[in-house]
Amino acid sequence: MTVKILRSALFLILLASVSARAEDKIWSAVVIASNVGTPREAPTQLLPVINRLKRVFGYNQFEILGSTTTTIDDQVERWLIPTEHFWLNVKARHASAKEARGGYLLNLQLFHDKRQLVETEAKLAPDSPLFIRGPLHARGQILIVLQVQPPAN
Amino acid sequence: MKTFEERYTAWIDGKLSGSELACFERELDATAPPDKASAQQLGDLLRHHSDAPALPNADFFTHQIMHRIASENPEPQRRRSWSWSIPRLAWAGALSLLLAGALFKTIILPDVPKPVVDPYFAEIVDVRTFDPNISATPVYNPKDNVTVLWIEGLDYLPASYKLQ
Repeated sequence: MTVKILRSALFLILLASVSARAEDKIWSAVVIASNVGTPREAPTQLLPVINRLKRVFGYNQFEILGSTTTTIDDQVERWLIPTEHFWLNVKARHASAKEARGGYLLNLQLFHDKRQLVETEAKLAPDSPLFIRGPLHARGQILIVLQVQPPAN
Repeated sequence: MKTFEERYTAWIDGKLSGSELACFERELDATAPPDKASAQQLGDLLRHHSDAPALPNADFFTHQIMHRIASENPEPQRRRSWSWSIPRLAWAGALSLLLAGALFKTIILPDVPKPVVDPYFAEIVDVRTFDPNISATPVYNPKDNVTVLWIEGLDYLPASYKLQ
Protein backbone atom coordinates (compact mmCIF):
# COMPACT_ATOMS: atom_id res chain seq x y z
CA MET A 1 0.00 0.00 0.00
CA THR A 2 2.76 2.42 1.02
CA VAL A 3 4.76 1.53 -2.09
CA LYS A 4 1.72 2.26 -4.25
CA ILE A 5 1.25 5.67 -2.66
CA LEU A 6 4.93 6.51 -3.04
CA ARG A 7 4.90 5.42 -6.67
CA SER A 8 1.83 7.54 -7.39
CA ALA A 9 3.39 10.56 -5.68
CA LEU A 10 6.62 10.14 -7.67
CA PHE A 11 4.63 9.85 -10.90
CA LEU A 12 2.68 13.02 -10.09
CA ILE A 13 5.88 14.92 -9.26
CA LEU A 14 7.50 13.80 -12.52
CA LEU A 15 4.36 14.68 -14.47
CA ALA A 16 4.23 18.11 -12.87
CA SER A 17 7.89 18.84 -13.61
CA VAL A 18 7.59 17.62 -17.21
CA SER A 19 4.48 19.70 -17.84
CA ALA A 20 6.18 22.75 -16.28
CA ARG A 21 9.28 22.32 -18.42
CA ALA A 22 7.19 21.82 -21.53
CA GLU A 23 6.01 25.40 -21.23
CA ASP A 24 9.52 26.83 -21.71
CA LYS A 25 9.83 28.79 -24.92
CA ILE A 26 12.62 30.14 -27.03
CA TRP A 27 12.33 33.50 -28.73
CA SER A 28 14.49 34.32 -31.72
CA ALA A 29 14.70 37.53 -33.72
CA VAL A 30 16.65 39.15 -36.51
CA VAL A 31 17.58 42.70 -35.57
CA ILE A 32 19.11 45.45 -37.65
CA ALA A 33 21.28 47.94 -35.79
CA SER A 34 22.11 51.33 -37.24
CA ASN A 35 23.16 54.85 -36.37
CA VAL A 36 20.57 57.48 -37.18
CA GLY A 37 19.95 61.09 -36.28
CA THR A 38 16.72 60.48 -34.41
CA PRO A 39 16.67 56.85 -33.25
CA ARG A 40 13.35 55.11 -32.74
CA GLU A 41 12.45 53.66 -29.39
CA ALA A 42 13.90 50.20 -28.85
CA PRO A 43 11.61 47.16 -29.13
CA THR A 44 10.11 46.02 -25.84
CA GLN A 45 11.87 42.66 -26.01
CA LEU A 46 15.28 44.38 -26.12
CA LEU A 47 14.63 46.99 -23.45
CA PRO A 48 16.32 45.07 -20.59
CA VAL A 49 19.63 44.95 -22.51
CA ILE A 50 19.36 47.93 -24.84
CA ASN A 51 21.96 50.05 -23.07
CA ARG A 52 24.48 47.22 -23.12
CA LEU A 53 23.80 46.61 -26.82
CA LYS A 54 24.43 50.25 -27.62
CA ARG A 55 27.76 50.11 -25.82
CA VAL A 56 28.87 46.73 -27.24
CA PHE A 57 27.89 47.30 -30.90
CA GLY A 58 28.12 51.09 -31.03
CA TYR A 59 24.72 51.69 -32.67
CA ASN A 60 21.90 53.87 -31.40
CA GLN A 61 18.89 52.25 -33.08
CA PHE A 62 17.79 48.62 -32.98
CA GLU A 63 14.83 47.37 -35.01
CA ILE A 64 13.39 43.88 -35.10
CA LEU A 65 13.05 42.65 -38.70
CA GLY A 66 11.28 39.46 -37.73
CA SER A 67 10.86 37.15 -34.76
CA THR A 68 9.40 33.82 -33.79
CA THR A 69 8.63 32.00 -30.56
CA THR A 70 8.39 28.27 -30.12
CA THR A 71 8.29 25.81 -27.26
CA ILE A 72 11.40 23.86 -26.46
CA ASP A 73 11.66 20.45 -24.92
CA ASP A 74 14.54 18.33 -23.81
CA GLN A 75 16.29 16.62 -26.73
CA VAL A 76 13.74 17.85 -29.27
CA GLU A 77 14.96 19.55 -32.45
CA ARG A 78 13.25 22.77 -33.53
CA TRP A 79 13.47 25.04 -36.53
CA LEU A 80 13.34 28.75 -35.78
CA ILE A 81 12.52 30.95 -38.76
CA PRO A 82 12.37 34.59 -37.69
CA THR A 83 12.76 35.86 -41.30
CA GLU A 84 12.81 34.21 -44.68
CA HIS A 85 16.57 34.71 -45.03
CA PHE A 86 17.83 33.68 -41.60
CA TRP A 87 16.83 30.61 -39.67
CA LEU A 88 18.18 28.40 -36.97
CA ASN A 89 18.09 24.76 -36.07
CA VAL A 90 18.03 24.26 -32.29
CA LYS A 91 18.40 21.13 -30.21
CA ALA A 92 17.99 21.75 -26.49
CA ARG A 93 19.09 19.90 -23.38
CA HIS A 94 18.48 20.98 -19.82
CA ALA A 95 21.58 22.67 -18.45
CA SER A 96 22.72 21.32 -15.10
CA ALA A 97 24.96 24.29 -14.31
CA LYS A 98 23.79 26.28 -11.32
CA GLU A 99 24.30 29.61 -13.05
CA ALA A 100 22.04 28.49 -15.93
CA ARG A 101 19.13 28.60 -13.44
CA GLY A 102 17.12 25.88 -15.12
CA GLY A 103 18.05 27.05 -18.63
CA TYR A 104 19.25 25.03 -21.58
CA LEU A 105 22.36 23.85 -23.33
CA LEU A 106 21.52 24.62 -26.96
CA ASN A 107 23.07 23.11 -30.05
CA LEU A 108 22.56 25.87 -32.64
CA GLN A 109 23.01 25.91 -36.38
CA LEU A 110 22.64 29.28 -38.08
CA PHE A 111 21.69 29.37 -41.73
CA HIS A 112 21.61 32.26 -44.18
CA ASP A 113 19.74 31.52 -47.40
CA LYS A 114 20.35 27.75 -47.13
CA ARG A 115 24.04 28.32 -46.37
CA GLN A 116 25.16 27.16 -42.93
CA LEU A 117 27.22 29.90 -41.37
CA VAL A 118 28.06 28.52 -37.94
CA GLU A 119 27.33 25.75 -35.46
CA THR A 120 27.68 26.39 -31.78
CA GLU A 121 26.81 25.09 -28.34
CA ALA A 122 25.66 27.64 -25.83
CA LYS A 123 24.27 27.61 -22.31
CA LEU A 124 21.43 30.05 -21.82
CA ALA A 125 19.70 30.97 -18.60
CA PRO A 126 16.11 32.16 -18.82
CA ASP A 127 15.75 35.81 -19.89
CA SER A 128 19.43 36.01 -20.87
CA PRO A 129 19.62 36.70 -24.60
CA LEU A 130 22.49 35.50 -26.76
CA PHE A 131 23.48 37.78 -29.63
CA ILE A 132 25.04 36.64 -32.89
CA ARG A 133 26.69 39.29 -35.02
CA GLY A 134 25.70 38.47 -38.59
CA PRO A 135 26.48 40.09 -41.93
CA LEU A 136 26.57 43.83 -42.58
CA HIS A 137 23.72 45.18 -44.69
CA ALA A 138 23.45 48.54 -46.41
CA ARG A 139 20.89 49.55 -43.77
CA GLY A 140 23.01 48.45 -40.85
CA GLN A 141 24.42 45.55 -38.88
CA ILE A 142 22.35 42.37 -38.73
CA LEU A 143 22.12 40.67 -35.35
CA ILE A 144 20.40 37.42 -34.46
CA VAL A 145 19.00 37.13 -30.95
CA LEU A 146 18.01 34.01 -28.99
CA GLN A 147 16.36 34.03 -25.60
CA VAL A 148 14.89 31.32 -23.39
CA GLN A 149 11.60 32.45 -21.91
CA PRO A 150 10.36 30.77 -18.76
CA PRO A 151 6.67 29.96 -18.52
CA ALA A 152 4.57 32.96 -17.60
CA ASN A 153 3.27 32.88 -14.03
CA MET B 1 -14.10 75.18 84.82
CA LYS B 2 -11.24 72.66 84.98
CA THR B 3 -11.50 69.38 83.17
CA PHE B 4 -11.44 66.04 84.91
CA GLU B 5 -7.93 65.31 83.62
CA GLU B 6 -6.59 68.63 84.99
CA ARG B 7 -8.12 68.05 88.37
CA TYR B 8 -6.92 64.38 88.33
CA THR B 9 -3.35 65.48 87.62
CA ALA B 10 -3.57 68.11 90.35
CA TRP B 11 -4.96 65.53 92.78
CA ILE B 12 -2.04 63.11 92.09
CA ASP B 13 0.39 65.99 92.59
CA GLY B 14 -1.32 66.83 95.92
CA LYS B 15 -2.32 70.28 94.82
CA LEU B 16 -6.06 70.03 95.59
CA SER B 17 -7.28 71.17 98.99
CA GLY B 18 -10.39 72.04 100.92
CA SER B 19 -13.76 71.74 99.28
CA GLU B 20 -12.17 71.22 95.88
CA LEU B 21 -10.32 68.09 97.19
CA ALA B 22 -13.46 66.70 98.89
CA CYS B 23 -15.56 67.29 95.77
CA PHE B 24 -13.06 65.62 93.44
CA GLU B 25 -12.58 62.58 95.76
CA ARG B 26 -16.33 62.07 95.82
CA GLU B 27 -16.40 62.25 92.02
CA LEU B 28 -13.45 59.84 91.82
CA ASP B 29 -15.14 57.33 94.16
CA ALA B 30 -18.18 57.38 91.91
CA THR B 31 -16.35 56.94 88.57
CA ALA B 32 -13.17 54.83 89.09
CA PRO B 33 -12.81 53.41 92.64
CA PRO B 34 -10.22 50.68 91.77
CA ASP B 35 -7.75 53.23 90.36
CA LYS B 36 -7.83 55.52 93.36
CA ALA B 37 -5.30 53.64 95.57
CA SER B 38 -2.75 52.99 92.80
CA ALA B 39 -3.02 56.59 91.58
CA GLN B 40 -2.41 57.81 95.09
CA GLN B 41 0.66 55.50 95.41
CA LEU B 42 2.05 56.88 92.11
CA GLY B 43 1.58 60.41 93.37
CA ASP B 44 3.39 59.63 96.66
CA LEU B 45 6.24 57.95 94.73
CA LEU B 46 6.70 60.91 92.41
CA ARG B 47 6.68 63.34 95.27
CA HIS B 48 9.34 61.40 97.25
CA HIS B 49 11.63 60.84 94.23
CA SER B 50 11.02 63.96 92.24
CA ASP B 51 14.66 64.63 91.30
CA ALA B 52 16.26 62.44 88.61
CA PRO B 53 19.84 61.28 89.27
CA ALA B 54 22.49 63.37 87.50
CA LEU B 55 24.20 61.57 84.55
CA PRO B 56 27.92 62.37 84.31
CA ASN B 57 28.21 60.90 80.72
CA ALA B 58 24.89 61.66 79.15
CA ASP B 59 26.09 61.05 75.57
CA PHE B 60 27.44 57.59 76.40
CA PHE B 61 24.21 56.74 78.17
CA THR B 62 22.18 57.87 75.14
CA HIS B 63 24.46 55.90 72.83
CA GLN B 64 24.03 52.76 74.91
CA ILE B 65 20.29 53.16 74.95
CA MET B 66 20.14 53.71 71.16
CA HIS B 67 22.43 50.71 70.55
CA ARG B 68 20.21 48.51 72.69
CA ILE B 69 17.08 49.69 70.90
CA ALA B 70 18.73 49.02 67.56
CA SER B 71 19.82 45.51 68.56
CA GLU B 72 16.35 44.65 69.89
CA ASN B 73 14.64 45.99 66.77
CA PRO B 74 16.82 44.95 63.81
CA GLU B 75 16.05 46.85 60.59
CA PRO B 76 14.57 44.49 58.02
CA GLN B 77 17.24 43.92 55.35
CA ARG B 78 16.24 44.87 51.82
CA ARG B 79 16.13 41.90 49.52
CA ARG B 80 18.05 42.59 46.29
CA SER B 81 16.79 40.73 43.30
CA TRP B 82 16.58 40.94 39.49
CA SER B 83 12.88 40.32 39.41
CA TRP B 84 11.90 43.04 36.94
CA SER B 85 8.38 43.56 35.84
CA ILE B 86 7.25 42.51 32.35
CA PRO B 87 6.93 46.07 30.95
CA ARG B 88 10.38 46.90 32.31
CA LEU B 89 11.84 43.80 30.64
CA ALA B 90 10.07 44.67 27.38
CA TRP B 91 11.47 48.19 27.39
CA ALA B 92 14.95 46.92 28.17
CA GLY B 93 14.69 44.42 25.29
CA ALA B 94 13.46 47.05 22.84
CA LEU B 95 16.25 49.43 23.81
CA SER B 96 18.85 46.66 23.45
CA LEU B 97 17.53 45.82 19.99
CA LEU B 98 17.67 49.45 18.94
CA LEU B 99 21.21 49.75 20.22
CA ALA B 100 22.26 46.55 18.44
CA GLY B 101 20.64 47.72 15.21
CA ALA B 102 22.35 51.09 15.37
CA LEU B 103 25.73 49.48 16.06
CA PHE B 104 25.23 46.99 13.21
CA LYS B 105 24.30 49.73 10.77
CA THR B 106 27.13 52.06 11.72
CA ILE B 107 29.97 49.61 12.36
CA ILE B 108 29.36 46.34 10.50
CA LEU B 109 27.16 47.20 7.51
CA PRO B 110 29.45 49.68 5.72
CA ASP B 111 32.18 47.00 5.44
CA VAL B 112 29.92 44.45 3.74
CA PRO B 113 30.08 44.86 -0.04
CA LYS B 114 26.67 44.81 -1.66
CA PRO B 115 26.43 41.95 -4.15
CA VAL B 116 25.67 42.96 -7.70
CA VAL B 117 22.58 41.07 -8.70
CA ASP B 118 22.56 40.44 -12.42
CA PRO B 119 20.87 37.22 -13.42
CA TYR B 120 22.21 37.36 -16.98
CA PHE B 121 23.95 34.16 -18.01
CA ALA B 122 24.77 33.17 -21.61
CA GLU B 123 27.88 31.16 -22.30
CA ILE B 124 29.18 29.82 -25.60
CA VAL B 125 30.73 26.42 -25.01
CA ASP B 126 31.82 25.49 -28.53
CA VAL B 127 31.72 27.05 -32.00
CA ARG B 128 32.72 26.01 -35.52
CA THR B 129 32.28 27.41 -39.01
CA PHE B 130 32.00 25.68 -42.38
CA ASP B 131 33.75 28.21 -44.59
CA PRO B 132 37.47 28.95 -44.25
CA ASN B 133 36.76 32.61 -44.93
CA ILE B 134 34.38 32.84 -42.03
CA SER B 135 35.45 32.95 -38.38
CA ALA B 136 33.31 32.98 -35.29
CA THR B 137 34.51 34.17 -31.89
CA PRO B 138 32.62 34.14 -28.60
CA VAL B 139 32.84 37.57 -27.00
CA TYR B 140 31.85 38.14 -23.42
CA ASN B 141 32.10 41.63 -22.07
CA PRO B 142 32.23 41.38 -18.28
CA LYS B 143 31.62 45.11 -17.91
CA ASP B 144 28.37 45.00 -19.88
CA ASN B 145 27.57 41.36 -19.06
CA VAL B 146 26.54 40.47 -22.61
CA THR B 147 27.61 37.45 -24.65
CA VAL B 148 27.98 37.84 -28.40
CA LEU B 149 28.97 35.31 -31.03
CA TRP B 150 30.98 37.56 -33.31
CA ILE B 151 31.06 36.27 -36.90
CA GLU B 152 33.63 37.79 -39.25
CA GLY B 153 34.16 37.34 -43.00
CA LEU B 154 30.54 37.36 -44.08
CA ASP B 155 29.53 38.90 -47.38
CA TYR B 156 28.27 42.48 -47.42
CA LEU B 157 24.57 42.65 -48.24
CA PRO B 158 23.70 45.53 -50.57
CA ALA B 159 20.62 47.69 -50.31
CA SER B 160 19.04 45.69 -53.12
CA TYR B 161 19.02 42.67 -50.84
CA LYS B 162 15.56 42.64 -49.29
CA LEU B 163 15.71 41.70 -45.65
CA GLN B 164 11.97 41.17 -45.22
